[in-house]
Amino acid sequence: MRYLSLACKNLLRRPIRSLLTISGVALAVAVAVSLGGFNVGYRNAINGSIEKLGYQVMVMAKGCPYEAATMMMKGGTGLLYLPQEVYETVKSDPDIQSITPIFVGIAQKEGSGIREDEAVKSFSILSGIEVPSFKVMKPWISFKSGAGYDGGRWFDPKSTDEIVMGFEVAQFEQRKVGDTFYASIVPNGKTQPVLHTFKVVGVLQRTGTQDDGTIFMPLSTAQEIFGRPKALTIIGIKLKTFGAASLREFEGRWLKLPEVQVVSLEQVKGTLVSLVGSAQVMIGAVAMIAVVVAVIGVVNTILMSVYERTGEIGIMKALGAYRSDIFRLIWLETLVICLAGAVAGSLLAFLAASLVEAAIKALINLGVQGSIVAIGPAMIGWALLGSVALGFFAGLYPAWRAASMRPIDAIREGE
Amino acid sequence: MNAPIIQARGLKRHYQRGSETVKALDGVDLDIYPGEMVSILGPSGSGKTTLVNLLSCLDVPTAGTLVLAEKPVTNLSEDRLADIRRGTLGFIFQKFHLIPTLTVAENVELPLMFLKRPVDRAATQGVLKQVGLEGRAAHLPRELSGGEMQRVAVARALIVQPKILIADEPTGNLDKANGDAIFKLFRKLSVEQGLTLIITTHNLALGHEADRVITLEDGRILREEPGRGKPALSRASSR
Repeated sequence: MRYLSLACKNLLRRPIRSLLTISGVALAVAVAVSLGGFNVGYRNAINGSIEKLGYQVMVMAKGCPYEAATMMMKGGTGLLYLPQEVYETVKSDPDIQSITPIFVGIAQKEGSGIREDEAVKSFSILSGIEVPSFKVMKPWISFKSGAGYDGGRWFDPKSTDEIVMGFEVAQFEQRKVGDTFYASIVPNGKTQPVLHTFKVVGVLQRTGTQDDGTIFMPLSTAQEIFGRPKALTIIGIKLKTFGAASLREFEGRWLKLPEVQVVSLEQVKGTLVSLVGSAQVMIGAVAMIAVVVAVIGVVNTILMSVYERTGEIGIMKALGAYRSDIFRLIWLETLVICLAGAVAGSLLAFLAASLVEAAIKALINLGVQGSIVAIGPAMIGWALLGSVALGFFAGLYPAWRAASMRPIDAIREGE
Repeated sequence: MNAPIIQARGLKRHYQRGSETVKALDGVDLDIYPGEMVSILGPSGSGKTTLVNLLSCLDVPTAGTLVLAEKPVTNLSEDRLADIRRGTLGFIFQKFHLIPTLTVAENVELPLMFLKRPVDRAATQGVLKQVGLEGRAAHLPRELSGGEMQRVAVARALIVQPKILIADEPTGNLDKANGDAIFKLFRKLSVEQGLTLIITTHNLALGHEADRVITLEDGRILREEPGRGKPALSRASSR
């Protein structure tokens, strides 16, 4: 017979009460772990999405930083343009390791979409790029292979009708290499759309970024068909050394240009984190309340159990138990409840992570790709450790109360 | 003659109940010798339980001295009293107080956990055999009769090989047959193992099965007489 075994058997005397208490702890832990998982997962998703942009800094037309963040993460629609001379000027900066110009435009699919019922899906993002510098920025990009996709390649830089489709847009439109894609574009300054016919020359592998939903074409062609021959949407930049100081210097040099803002990934990250920050604080407060309620429940359960077993505790003392032995036994019972609750809660949070993620994504558009709830071994380890700490404090009073009973009083009271 | 294993002098236990002082025990001198089986008789409120609680180191006297196995035990802290109890005393209570979720064997072995002694299944089987429950080791208390539960309590007291076994109304919750059986068991332990036994009871007939019978009244020893057991080894007196 060991103390742990005795503690577990004591808890089994009132299985429903013990189960309810463990459920309370499990619920609190599940909420806390899910929140922690969301914190970590969301930050990871932001980091992942930003890293997959390939550039650390972007130069773009002045506007709302939130819009900039959206633009950077999702390829947004509130498009502002800056003159191409800015690119020519900025690229001479000695701190730049690589730079790529990007033109983004929105086109309406005409008679090409197979899901016309969804109005929101009738638009496509077209991105004009310079392939050599774009590839340097995103070396992981490759072409999808297999039946219908073999032979994929980048478009000819002088071509006016060749396009490369991102993974998701190709799937959605059911396009393969060699297929045709139709799009209507209203050129800048015109009122009537012009129908264009494009030929798909390649489909990209999935990247998990906004590139999956983008259709790429030569930069000059995009500028031409959108009627903005010397305009760019974004200039993506990778610096030789990236840090707060180097970014400040870089910003200082180029903010003097009119109508230009320099946005770093750190700023974007901060903006995106602040977007959900207050919601996280609210959920955190709810989790804290749940934890406090669970702890009160544990203290109540163990105290009731101590009162019910007053006589037994007296007998144990009569049989030779020290105060410390009784303290240890009752304290262990508290720990067992908290640990069992933590294990159940962590398991629940782990299993329900995809549901939580789907619920969050359904409620708010966080502007990031990939999983936003990350529950790993470290998170569960912290939950278990936290529960042990809670059990430690929750068990102190009942254990002290039981240990302090005089054996004779306890035996009398128990009879 | 051996030195007494329990020596009480002027033992008093007074309680304050409001403005009234209750003299539960009011000056008892008592010597109990190793191997003796002593019954303590008396009506309710005579001080039987108070006396055995003091002799068991479960309670502390208001006045007087108590020497137990040659160790003075007056004015000790609760943990030091526990030290005295551990391994020296075995207890049997009227209400058995078995842990309902533990098997018979686990209940018997429970004191070993507190004494940090290893569990020896053969020793457990040995004490269960002594009390006639060798086939009930895996049973839970709820599967036993009252007499069997009390015998488990006896086995639990014996597992630590105590020098003194103190039983407070051990037959109070048992029918006559089971009460007789328990007393027969006590007699056997006294004769075969030389165990010192102190038993309180309301049952005069059973009480007189002991070596010596002490009758209490109003917290004092009224009389002391030899029982039907072994010849009396000691002298008890009341002040």
